[in-house]
Amino acid sequence: MSWSDVGTVAPVVIAVLVAMTILVVDMAAPGRRGPILVAALGGLAVVAAAVMLQAGHTGSAFGGSYSLDNMTVFLDMLFVFIAAMTILFAGDYLEPRGLPIAEFAAILIFAVTGGMLIAGSTDLLLLFVALELMVLPGYMLAAFARTDSYSVEGAIKYFLLGSFSSAILLFGLAYVWGITGTTRVDGVAAALTTQLAHGTIQPGLAMGLAFMTTGVAFKMAAVPFHYWTPDAYQGSPTPVTAYLSVGPKIGAFAIALRLFVGALGPLKADWLPVIIVLAAATMTLGNLVAITQDNVKRMLAYSSIAHTGYILVGLAAYAGGQHSGLSAVFFYGAAYTFMNMGAFAVVTALQKRPGVTSQIGTFAGLGRRDPWLGALMALFLLSLTGIPPLAGFWAKAYVILAAVQAGGWLTALAVLAMVNAAAAAFYYLRVVVYMYMREPTEEVAPSRPGALFRVGLAVAGVGTLIFGLFPALVTAASNAASVFRG
Amino acid sequence: MHLPILSLITVTPLVGALAVAILPSKYPDLIRRTALGFALLAWAMSLVLLAAYAFGPSGFQFGETADWIPTFGIQYKLGVDGLSVLMVVLATTLSWISILASFRITDRVKGYMISFLVLEVGMIGVFIALDLFLFYIFWEIVLVPMYLIIGIWGGANRIYATMKFVLYTLVGSLLMLVAILATAYAFQVGHGGSWSGAFDFQQLAAFAKAGHFSDNLQILGFLALFLAFAIKVPMFPFHTWLPDAHTEAPTAGSVILAGVLLKLGAYGLIRFAVPLYPFAAHTFAWPIIVLSVIAIVYGAIVSIVQTDLKRLVAYSSVSHMGFVTLGIFAFNATAFQGAVLQMVNHGLITGGLFLLVGVIYERTHDRTIARMGGAAARMPIWATFFGFFILASAGLPGLSGFVGEFLVFVGSFTVAPAIAAASIIVMVLAATYLLWMFQRVAFGTVSEFLTGLGTHLTDMNRTEAITLVPLAILIVVLGLFPSLLLDLLRAPAQAFLTAAAAVHG
Repeated sequence: MSWSDVGTVAPVVIAVLVAMTILVVDMAAPGRRGPILVAALGGLAVVAAAVMLQAGHTGSAFGGSYSLDNMTVFLDMLFVFIAAMTILFAGDYLEPRGLPIAEFAAILIFAVTGGMLIAGSTDLLLLFVALELMVLPGYMLAAFARTDSYSVEGAIKYFLLGSFSSAILLFGLAYVWGITGTTRVDGVAAALTTQLAHGTIQPGLAMGLAFMTTGVAFKMAAVPFHYWTPDAYQGSPTPVTAYLSVGPKIGAFAIALRLFVGALGPLKADWLPVIIVLAAATMTLGNLVAITQDNVKRMLAYSSIAHTGYILVGLAAYAGGQHSGLSAVFFYGAAYTFMNMGAFAVVTALQKRPGVTSQIGTFAGLGRRDPWLGALMALFLLSLTGIPPLAGFWAKAYVILAAVQAGGWLTALAVLAMVNAAAAAFYYLRVVVYMYMREPTEEVAPSRPGALFRVGLAVAGVGTLIFGLFPALVTAASNAASVFRG
Repeated sequence: MHLPILSLITVTPLVGALAVAILPSKYPDLIRRTALGFALLAWAMSLVLLAAYAFGPSGFQFGETADWIPTFGIQYKLGVDGLSVLMVVLATTLSWISILASFRITDRVKGYMISFLVLEVGMIGVFIALDLFLFYIFWEIVLVPMYLIIGIWGGANRIYATMKFVLYTLVGSLLMLVAILATAYAFQVGHGGSWSGAFDFQQLAAFAKAGHFSDNLQILGFLALFLAFAIKVPMFPFHTWLPDAHTEAPTAGSVILAGVLLKLGAYGLIRFAVPLYPFAAHTFAWPIIVLSVIAIVYGAIVSIVQTDLKRLVAYSSVSHMGFVTLGIFAFNATAFQGAVLQMVNHGLITGGLFLLVGVIYERTHDRTIARMGGAAARMPIWATFFGFFILASAGLPGLSGFVGEFLVFVGSFTVAPAIAAASIIVMVLAATYLLWMFQRVAFGTVSEFLTGLGTHLTDMNRTEAITLVPLAILIVVLGLFPSLLLDLLRAPAQAFLTAAAAVHG
């Protein structure tokens, strides 16, 4: 280890320090919200600045197990953004319920640190450790409302299946290590290329591939490994759900990129069919089940499964020979972060008063009760549907374009994705129907969101709109991120 | 540099929507007048466009081009030919009429007017976009406000109707997106991997004309675009959303739906589906002609048995729009001109009919034909207008409805005499269901239901008359002097036939 290594991982180090600072501040001034928020948001700003300083640079640390490239920078920024937004949204939910903000912020930032570490991992072992660093705090967050039985139930399901899938993934990594003799991502790729050239590829690798695919599919909530998602999402405190629906999902895709595109790149013809099937099943089942949901949180949980499917189309397009599939994955991740966090934020705002459920009836007449909240929710839902000119539309368009370019089965997958998008309009617009076309069942006093909350909502709304009108703002970064070190 | 008149026309309603958005909702009258003002301004500008348009030359005029997303060669590219100009004027005309006809709406006036103005932006945009991506975006922009208009201000069964409308349209349009992307990609591959111009309609059409799109791509691309447009037209058997949407929509919503939104589909077929995939268009011409004739006959027969005024007019739209698709796919100049005239006429006539149905519904809160009876005695002005539009719809010579249908007959007769003959019979059917309905509603002794309304049943007021008079004048003028439009359509017809003639892929 040298000082330059520390420089390369500086954002991760700073993020850990920020999380610890929050705990210290909480000890110094117990129960005070202001200092905590200053420490958390200010700290995240410093992390963001550190990430921005790295933009355009490449490098590696710790003997090649950590890499700094455009992908690292892109995902680091996204993770920092996710953490900041979650903290902005969390206050209004946690405070009325007497849940402590300090622990929440600290755990969240630890989780995000895991995500950032994944983004830079180019070693199988570090990848696994980073993954655990990301998901373990996630279990705690899911159970954050520890007196609420739904929260605990969801968290236990999440924890059991999460640990199980981590073990499966680790087992797969062990196979790959055993067969290639290295844990370095580039080393694995080189060894596989050689073995392919000499025809000495071993059958055991198929086992490794199967286990790794299963593990990653669990993490990204791809069908048929999605069963934990609806319960974990519905049971968790809503701001946590907002985080879980984007953070760990993007983390899982980061693993997929480092693992499948990086290490297993030479075998992409072998894993392509698996990804195609996963994508098709994930978006179709996610959408079909989402249609039947009456609880908006649960509906958004299934919708997030469907979106996993769309993102997988981008990955499949890459394996089908179109590099633009990867930039589509990055673009989708960014667009999805804005619109999905925004949608969950509106649910959070409605639940500011404890006891308000996330049943769809809660949304009845929202357009009249609170025009701004209603309009923003409509914006996020239309973006999730993929209506232009909103961010979600371009996300879908780029994925579909890459798939169409790859041709063959991927064209069929693109058609399936669009049929799915049309079906998804049903459940997204159903919420709009409740907001604008039905009268409220009971007169619910409008609960005005706090100032920070409104800032977060505005950022999500403006992002959804601006990236829709000017997608080139993101494409430059997402194109750059798609060229990363294997 | 000339004035970017197309952008100005498109932006005017958008500015209007923003202006309405910042007005406080406690001044509904101010909001109504502002919306009407901007719609009238857009209308006036579209008339300037029509006046400035040079009839003779072929090709697009008033072109505007700017890069939008250079990575994929997506442009902000606008331009109009005679067909587009006509459609833009139709859209702006019906827009202000609809807004004026909506002055009696009292619930959430602000949202209503914003929806209508945004709708107008989308409609105009579709007719003037010359970049496929831009076209797609305008196409989808149309969807959202109409969804809200039906869903919020519609009738009792509005939510079912609006969801059906949206889902039908989305299935079509999302598949169209895949086709557009695939087509652009084929162009990109054919140009050595350069995206420049890949979404430019004129370059794509030239590429298609040179026969560079494979048969496979043409067939699949055409089917996807055809599905999207056929749902919008709507062609049999994709028409089932239409009776629900028309019936549940508020009056002005029905006017725009019938008057302009259905034309978006026909326009898409003419502008994009046929020129981009001429081989496929010819391959599928016969099945489409058969579907058109089924729509013509089926729409007419189903209209006969309707008991609801609005539903009757809605089904008659299916029949009338069948002439449009028949005329397009007969692939000759006469039929083409007939088809476009029919588009305009149907917009004027059906728009008027929906306004008139709205007038009586406003007073009776009922649209059941059987309960009316003798309305002419109580509402003479209304009955006169109604009779006029009914006769126009039935294709009375001298009024504009006749000319379009007649030209389609003549044009398609040269291609398929039997088909043309079959659709002639529908003229009789149309007269049957329209005049029979008029007789039941307007003549005879005043029904108990209408008597029971007492003084509530007033005749049409001035505002209502103002919405109908321009339409009536246009129907007479275009009926007597169809050459006004035919001159405008000569060049587009030629361009359409040349594009369609490039059969070999």
